[in-house]
Amino acid sequence: MTHATLEVRDLSHRFGDRQALDGVTFEVRPGRLTGFVGANGAGKTTTMRAIVGVLAPDSGRVTFRGEPMTLDVRRRIGYMPEERGLYPKMKVAEQLVYLARVLGVPRETARARARELLEALGLTERAEDLLHTLSLGNQQRVQVAAALIHEPEVLILDEPFSGLDPIAMDAMAERLRARAEAGVPVLFSSHQLDLVERLCDDLVLIHEGRVVAAGEARALREERAGRRYRVVVDGSPGWAPVLAGMTVVEAGERGTVVDLDEAADPQALLAAAQQAGPVGHFSRVLPSLADLFAEVAR
Amino acid sequence: MSASRTDLIRLVAGREVAVKLRDKGFIASTLVFVAVIVIAVVVPALLEGDTPEYTVASTVEARTVADTAAAIGAAGGLGLPEATITVVDSDDPADAVADPEVAAALSVDADGTVVVTAVDGVPGALEELVGAASATVAAQVVAADAGLSPDQVAALTSPTPPRVDLLEPRPDQPVPPELVIVIFGFMFYFTVLTFGIAIAQSVVEEKSSRVVEILVAAVPIRWLLAGKVLGNAVMALGQVVLIVGAGLLGARAMGQGEIVSQVLVVSGWFLAFFVLGFLMLACLWAVAGSLASRVEELQSTTLYMQIAVMVPFFSAILIQDEGPLRVALSYFPLTAPLMMPARVVTGDAAAWEPWAAMAVVALTALGLVAIGARLYAGSVLNTSARTKLGGAWAAGGRA
Repeated sequence: MTHATLEVRDLSHRFGDRQALDGVTFEVRPGRLTGFVGANGAGKTTTMRAIVGVLAPDSGRVTFRGEPMTLDVRRRIGYMPEERGLYPKMKVAEQLVYLARVLGVPRETARARARELLEALGLTERAEDLLHTLSLGNQQRVQVAAALIHEPEVLILDEPFSGLDPIAMDAMAERLRARAEAGVPVLFSSHQLDLVERLCDDLVLIHEGRVVAAGEARALREERAGRRYRVVVDGSPGWAPVLAGMTVVEAGERGTVVDLDEAADPQALLAAAQQAGPVGHFSRVLPSLADLFAEVAR
Repeated sequence: MSASRTDLIRLVAGREVAVKLRDKGFIASTLVFVAVIVIAVVVPALLEGDTPEYTVASTVEARTVADTAAAIGAAGGLGLPEATITVVDSDDPADAVADPEVAAALSVDADGTVVVTAVDGVPGALEELVGAASATVAAQVVAADAGLSPDQVAALTSPTPPRVDLLEPRPDQPVPPELVIVIFGFMFYFTVLTFGIAIAQSVVEEKSSRVVEILVAAVPIRWLLAGKVLGNAVMALGQVVLIVGAGLLGARAMGQGEIVSQVLVVSGWFLAFFVLGFLMLACLWAVAGSLASRVEELQSTTLYMQIAVMVPFFSAILIQDEGPLRVALSYFPLTAPLMMPARVVTGDAAAWEPWAAMAVVALTALGLVAIGARLYAGSVLNTSARTKLGGAWAAGGRA
């Protein structure tokens, strides 16, 4: 087990009659971006709140570097709650310094870091403004700064991309990537599946309080890929093989998608395609994250 | 980055203080209060002024009456006003009062009646004194005619006033104790309400903005509460001391040293009880805030707290006659912080009594702080809707 790993083991929690979490288990590895994906109400926020200690789960445990999440460990987490949490009537810079000091950063260091972060986020000119006078997107950036102000060793971010414009989204992605490369385990939830797919090294899929898939993103997709192939025969859009055990799902400009049954040989498909013309593309179709998501949600 | 309890509580308290110091409403209300106190102290002192001075013209015939009036005015007593009267000679009353410095002119008409001449009115005090003097002179004349010795005449016309013997004299106080109680009572009522609501608002602000989630992840909930209560308690005490101090400075500037020493003596008990009483309720104010999920709900969640502050205020003001009810209320934790110092001020409490009441309040405070902390812990993270007390109590046991 790598040292700076955040481990979540068997978290269960009930809200009244509803089982919100049911044996949630996964790990967030250092140096990797882990995407946390699930439908509304699947248990993402509850899990994150349990990790940072805002919610005491009925059972299960969370450890970081093998240590339980004591107060001192929790203070090394950078946390961004789902619903944004900052003082609306406090000045931006002052607010960051206050939160940093609450997290144990000395005053001068806190000031310097607040300046740096605000500059990096393009908010230097708003440093002395009251938070609630900023646009929602800018408030979101301040929220990011608040999560990073104490140079946390773990990042737990609930929907960090929601409400950001594409440019801000890229900047945020870059920032998360940089933190991950510095060896910080990063867990973030998002509804933007394409973004998660593009960004994440690891994935945790949660459905109705249970983790239905967890691990390396690519491996997960390959695991669930099945026997669907896409072949493009140059010059013959709409080519369709006539072979036993193969069903054409789609044939057109983007090539031909074929489902193979257990007995059918992908090499026979390739050979047939080559007979029809030069093969421009031949691959096993990996399910997109959206496909995985749809599959588990079913 | 290890967490130090003292540092964190101080940090949270510091933010509360900083927020309050920048709150325009708070600054304005404090200034208004200080101004009201200073005005209340200074204006009556200005109005009270010195003994009035009159210049009275007198004919030779009226001279005895004029001199007697001056003597009575200088002596005071017997229910007659004090005044300094300067008598000048004049033959013509009408001519004399033409001088604006002369308040009135005395003469005696053909019937021997004393006549007071003035332009448009005679000052009340002067008229009373002249009336008394004229009666005294008349009595002296009659007594002398009857053959009484000058000593006998004097005994008749200036009788020795009765001596008052007090078995348990109250301390000599320039300000009536009832007024002191009303002023302190109102100030405490105002301050506790202001800062109690400030605590509740600060809690609900953190709740509704969700910043509490970030804080709770990094700071134990009870430390957070302690910082909040401490910051507001310091500000509340500061405000009271500022207001009392402004009043005392005003009194001193007006040369009313007696008021200063009188208030200084009683304010010790008032302030001690104020601090304890404030701390006793502070955590419950925080609970009133944490039961709400939005600022709009504060009105209903703080209702009982507002009553808990109002009842002691009105009972301390309205129940000022010593009796079993007053004694009982001076030990009841909610009313004791005002009622016991009030009894001390009116001289009705034995020396040990404030200490006993203080112990009662302190013990209650300990209990209420523990209960308040648990309810706060159980409700502050429930951001979705108004929390019920029972649910908060159960959840607080786990937190």
